[in-house]
Amino acid sequence: MMTTVFNIENLNLFYGDFHALKNIDMVIYKNQVTALIGPSGCGKSTFIRCLNRMNDLIPEAKMEGCVRFDGEECQIGGYDVIGLRKRVGMVFQKPNPFPMSIFDNVAFGPRQQGIKQKEVLQGIVEKALKQAALYEEVKDRLTSSALSLSGGQQQRLCIARALALEPEVILMDEPTSALDPLATQRIESLINDLKEDYTIVIVTHSMQQAARISDYTAFFYMGELREIDTTEKIFKAPRLKQTEDYITGRFG
Amino acid sequence: MRKKPWRQVILDGATYLATLLSVFALGMIFFYVIREGAHLLSFDLLRGDYHARGFVGLVEEETQGSFNLTGQQGENRYLVERLGLVLEQSFDLAGDGVIKVAYIDEASPLRRLTNQDPTSEQSFIGLETGAVLRRVSYVDHPTSLTSRGAASMARDMNDPDRALREVIFSTEGGGIRGSLITTLYLIFITLAIALPFGVLTAIYFNEFAPINRVTKAMRNFIETLTGVPSIIYGLLGITVFVPLTVRLTPAENANLIAGGLTLAVILLPVIIRTTEEALKVVSQDHRFASLALGANKTQTTFKVVLPQALPGILTATFLGIGRVIGESAALIFVLGAAIRDSVRIFEPSTSLAVHIWSMMTDEPANIALSSTIALIILLIVLTLNLAIKTTVWAFDWKGRRS
Amino acid sequence: MSQKHTALSKIDALTQRTLTIFGIVSASFILLIAFFITIRGIIPFITDNNGAGAVNVWLFLTETVWLRGPTFVSSAYGVGFLIIQTLYLAFLSLFISFPVGVLTALFIAKIAPKRLASVLRSIVELMASIPSIVYGLVGVGLFLPWIHALARALGQQSAGGLGTLGVMIVLALMSLPTITAISEVSIRSVDQSLEHASLALGATPTQTRFKITLLAAKSGIFSSAILAIGRALGEATAVSLVAGNARSGPNFGLFNITSTLTSTMLEGMKETVGIDYDIRFSVGIILMIVILITNLILNTLKKKVGNVHA
Repeated sequence: MMTTVFNIENLNLFYGDFHALKNIDMVIYKNQVTALIGPSGCGKSTFIRCLNRMNDLIPEAKMEGCVRFDGEECQIGGYDVIGLRKRVGMVFQKPNPFPMSIFDNVAFGPRQQGIKQKEVLQGIVEKALKQAALYEEVKDRLTSSALSLSGGQQQRLCIARALALEPEVILMDEPTSALDPLATQRIESLINDLKEDYTIVIVTHSMQQAARISDYTAFFYMGELREIDTTEKIFKAPRLKQTEDYITGRFG
Repeated sequence: MRKKPWRQVILDGATYLATLLSVFALGMIFFYVIREGAHLLSFDLLRGDYHARGFVGLVEEETQGSFNLTGQQGENRYLVERLGLVLEQSFDLAGDGVIKVAYIDEASPLRRLTNQDPTSEQSFIGLETGAVLRRVSYVDHPTSLTSRGAASMARDMNDPDRALREVIFSTEGGGIRGSLITTLYLIFITLAIALPFGVLTAIYFNEFAPINRVTKAMRNFIETLTGVPSIIYGLLGITVFVPLTVRLTPAENANLIAGGLTLAVILLPVIIRTTEEALKVVSQDHRFASLALGANKTQTTFKVVLPQALPGILTATFLGIGRVIGESAALIFVLGAAIRDSVRIFEPSTSLAVHIWSMMTDEPANIALSSTIALIILLIVLTLNLAIKTTVWAFDWKGRRS
Repeated sequence: MSQKHTALSKIDALTQRTLTIFGIVSASFILLIAFFITIRGIIPFITDNNGAGAVNVWLFLTETVWLRGPTFVSSAYGVGFLIIQTLYLAFLSLFISFPVGVLTALFIAKIAPKRLASVLRSIVELMASIPSIVYGLVGVGLFLPWIHALARALGQQSAGGLGTLGVMIVLALMSLPTITAISEVSIRSVDQSLEHASLALGATPTQTRFKITLLAAKSGIFSSAILAIGRALGEATAVSLVAGNARSGPNFGLFNITSTLTSTMLEGMKETVGIDYDIRFSVGIILMIVILITNLILNTLKKKVGNVHA
């Protein structure tokens, strides 16, 4: 039996009057890649942002229900979101390295936690960059600007930046949508490697990507979770006609 | 909830504190200027002369009498029945303590004094209500001085033993009419020059100028003007505009035309930039539509494009007025700092801002009247800011509706 | 633009030619200023100034006294100490205005609710449009007595509060809105995804604001400081009211009287002929050069700092 990382119970999210997520019940398993698919505006990005409470930044967003992380209590007001975000990392759609050096980018998270010693930071940065399969390419220019890297390298740097905090979960919001096919391929194989140690939740627009890299696939539509199962089942024999239509590209 | 580390509390605290300080700074300026200057604000101040005109009158024949002054009593009022005069301990427009004539009887001997001013053709002068008494001297008795107060002066004058010899009085000074009129003149002259010049230049750059290295350099040159300190414009004024206006106009020295020209150069980059921004947002479709209707480019520019840029030009006008009202250093150089009561455009005089500078560099500095003028300037600036906001708002609203 | 390819009618050609003249005249004012001030300002150095003797350029630039010897007779003018004091005061004022301005901008752009932010923006705009003479007046009336009291409390001498500290405060107040307004715009335009990335890494909002937002906006913030320095170097009337107009220096003490290039130019405006008049233009040249060089250095610095990780 696989352990669960997230238990989501009856999750609802409103943007003002707009009901963006409706009664979501879902489980996310440890050391698995869960892909979230669905047409634009279906709520999958909103959902992933519930997992590390990034929706808290939108003043009119209101969350109801439960997102239980690691068997903890129900998340409601007053919850330690900072602590949560340290354990649940996130990679964004567009590579967004900070305007500082490669080293400082990766060391940013640990430094905010109060780690000051140079040697410790060096160890963390090196390990994270290695995990993100970027170390060999940048080891000679750790002090040069992160913005001098290519788009694919920048995205791997952002992954390394998230890994430096040694999170348990990594959320990826369409991490390859701004990248070329070759860079995409590298990220995908990286995701495959990372799954050994991390739980990964990824939002993607590409059916092929979901099929290639994920173990579980969840299909969202109009703010509802329509279907979730192993990727194999979803792609070979979906329960719903709607899911099949979407996967085969009949709408979306 | 995690406890915030002290470092973050300090950083947050500093942010809030800084904002409070900024707001406090503005509040402080208004508070100070109002506290020091508001009490002098009056219509008479705006109307009055700054320089008190002094008179020296000799008392030739003194008719001893006793005037009925009932009904003239009041706070700080002192009756001089012997001469039919009521003195009042009061303040002039600039806030200095003075002794004023609160009432003078028709038959008072002080209505007819021999004028001691040899340069004047007037042989007789007389005290009027509102005149300021500076000094009263007597035959064989010590002089009454302003500094001893109205009560003492009234007592002395009422004393039948003291024969009046000489009365020194003046009109009430401390008004700012001259500087107010100068400022209005300067606004008018400056805008009359800078607005057409700036708007036409903006039209040139936005509608007609080719885009090449030369026009780019020209734009840079104009942009550089914004970084030039106003005192340098003052130097430009005295070397170029004053000699130029002396040659071309009846002016013989520094004059308001030269001042206006100097200010016009200061305004130029602001007007050009603001107008150009307004021209830029005019839809290209309107230009094409006009051209397609057979209008030539000149007609298109002046009949179609320019009217749509009017809010921008209006904003530029308000900004310009604000700049003229606030300018001091350049005007001190071009026009000097001598406050005038009668203003002529071919002569120098001070604007309100220079009026402040002039009084603040005097010994002793007149802070009260300076604050009053500053208050007037602040009120105008506030109004201009609101006017700009309204213009922008009205334009947005209109634009959204159509 | 298509102007080049459009055939212009006769009237359009005439319009274009007329407008070109306006463009050229507007663009030439800066040259006019440079030309005439140089011509006038160079006179004291190349003529014998009606018997007073030519001003020695080297001594002029390095002297620690404004005028050695009697007025009208001596030509031993010097601005060395004025250059130093002018720069010193401008940068000193930045110690107050820069942190306060940038943090205020941060508050307006990132913390304040919409309505409060717009009120604060109006306040900053209003402060920016207050004429400098008003700042000078408030400086004299409000701050000088405080400074004087402070000096006495510290057992220091002060000339009624006139001097370095007063100039510093007045200049800081004047440049505060410039720094706030420009910094605010650049802080507001920082890419939000950077801030989100930082928050997603478990950084607190405060850490994000100070470590990421300010860092990403540093180019605009630096520009605001350059602009403020430029204004502070050229400010004349407000400074002249609170400086105390020292005739020699350089004086660095907070309670010492001081003077700047501009305040010295405003001194003794009554003389209108001779070297005492012409020397003002020489000071004007120096002022322009000081501003130009400071701007150049700061802009190079900005490019260097800004380019490190951009």
